[in-house]
Amino acid sequence: MKGRGALPLLALLLVAAFLASLAFGELRLSPMQVLEALFGRGDELARTVVWDFRLPRTLVGLAAGTALAASGTVMQAFFRNPLADPGLLGVSSGGALGAVAVLALGPSLGLAAASLWTLPVASVVGAFAATGAVMVLAERGASTERLLLSGVALNALLGAGTSFLLTVTAGHFEVNAQILFWLMGGLENRSWEHVWMGVPVIALGCALLLPLGRGLNLLSLGEQSAQSLGVDVHRLRRKLIVLATVLTALATATGGIIGFVGLVVPHVLRLAWGPDHRRLLPAAMLGGGTFLLACDLVTRLFPIGLRLGVVTAVVGGPFFLWLLRRPR
Amino acid sequence: MTAALQAAALSVLGRLEDVSLDLGPRELVAVVGPNGAGKSTLIQALAGLLPFEGHVQWNGQPLSEIPFQERGRRLAWVGQEALFDFAFPVRDVVAQGRFAWDDDPAGVAEALAAMDLEALADRPVTRLSGGERHRVILARALATAAPLQLWDEPVAQLDVRHALEVYRLARQLADAGGTVLVSLHDIRAAYRFDRVLVLDHGRLVGNGEPHAILTAGLIRTVFRVEATFVTSLVPELPAD
Repeated sequence: MKGRGALPLLALLLVAAFLASLAFGELRLSPMQVLEALFGRGDELARTVVWDFRLPRTLVGLAAGTALAASGTVMQAFFRNPLADPGLLGVSSGGALGAVAVLALGPSLGLAAASLWTLPVASVVGAFAATGAVMVLAERGASTERLLLSGVALNALLGAGTSFLLTVTAGHFEVNAQILFWLMGGLENRSWEHVWMGVPVIALGCALLLPLGRGLNLLSLGEQSAQSLGVDVHRLRRKLIVLATVLTALATATGGIIGFVGLVVPHVLRLAWGPDHRRLLPAAMLGGGTFLLACDLVTRLFPIGLRLGVVTAVVGGPFFLWLLRRPR
Repeated sequence: MTAALQAAALSVLGRLEDVSLDLGPRELVAVVGPNGAGKSTLIQALAGLLPFEGHVQWNGQPLSEIPFQERGRRLAWVGQEALFDFAFPVRDVVAQGRFAWDDDPAGVAEALAAMDLEALADRPVTRLSGGERHRVILARALATAAPLQLWDEPVAQLDVRHALEVYRLARQLADAGGTVLVSLHDIRAAYRFDRVLVLDHGRLVGNGEPHAILTAGLIRTVFRVEATFVTSLVPELPAD
């Protein structure tokens, strides 16, 4: 069978990216120092750097990348379109608008702005609204043009909402900066609070998604044929939509808008190891985490003000254009 | 005897009106009718793939009472379109016929062989011709080992050799106790079936033995062409 060695290889890459993410930064640590610090030994500075700063940042990045790639894999199969992606379709923008609304309006409504609950919940609500709109605008099997154009429209609309909130809060510098953060995506200053905000639910969502690979294979070749072969299509679709939306929303709540991960990662893995979702889903989860950690490392190794969302866009944008030109 | 496939007052809004029929085991049945007569709709409704009014029963059991996995074991559907958006190898698509059997691979190799796909088994389905793709979805239907086989214009894109092979397989499945319902573009082929159903404007206007049903008069009213079909022009099915 094709792709047998894929998962161990990807797991290995992920471990490497994880350790590199703990080692590199303003203070460079050796692999030994990282491992010592992880197990609570070694010098105190290294322990503080690893435990208080880099570990939460790495975990949040890992979870966000995993969630976005898994979500992209599902959306591509669901819409039977290899160009579907939570960012391009506007689901990420929906999540961001939800989060930004809480940041901008929360204080005046008496909500604790960035609490463990309000932010992800608002993000989930916003993402679901966007998903609902996509479902109406572009039914499954819709042409690429229709799917992408509805994404363009939705992204413009949601972006306008975010811009409006940005202008309204222009006087409040701190709130304003926080909102800008969402628009560009990034893992700076991630704390354990962010880890608890996103990681457990993302892990749960991925665990629930993994067994759906078999059904996803059939669904990706058409709803009627899937149903005729014994899939409860309505139930499967509901599960997939909910999981893909929640995963995107939590990635957005913890890391802001990070585009193209859901597009690039499943695509590259599909080209390398085939479209079987029983392997593609776990591969995308591992690959998504690795890809995002690698992009985050780039922002840290070249501290010239690069944002994570900028790096993923620089990688993903040209890739997307290449895909568009490719005959399907 | 319980009918293998039964419809009573079956209607699909705007496409199918008040169709009642009974198909038995060991029956090879053709559906004919002009474009837009409702052939595909009838087949999809009988397969439970679109919402309908009226009643559909498989082996005397109302469709709504049959769980989805069980449906996949009892009925196989071959759609008119064989479009693939993802590059699964032919073998994997045929093996999807075993989904309802928890991916037990029994019969997959035989299904590939029956549709002459062994040489193409590792090729991505996206790189096949239209006719080859139809053979893939037919092989997937065969792999289900379902006793009810509903095929929507399976031979429209096939060359004559593979088309004859499809008819031969359909006969074989019926002889083995199955119920095979095939919609046909070419009404001449219907003479080789045990029974023919004629649809016109969503209504069932003929149901019986082909020679008795496909009269010049009916062909004139339904298809609006002047024709008498000489059965000797119908290709003989190759004997085993």
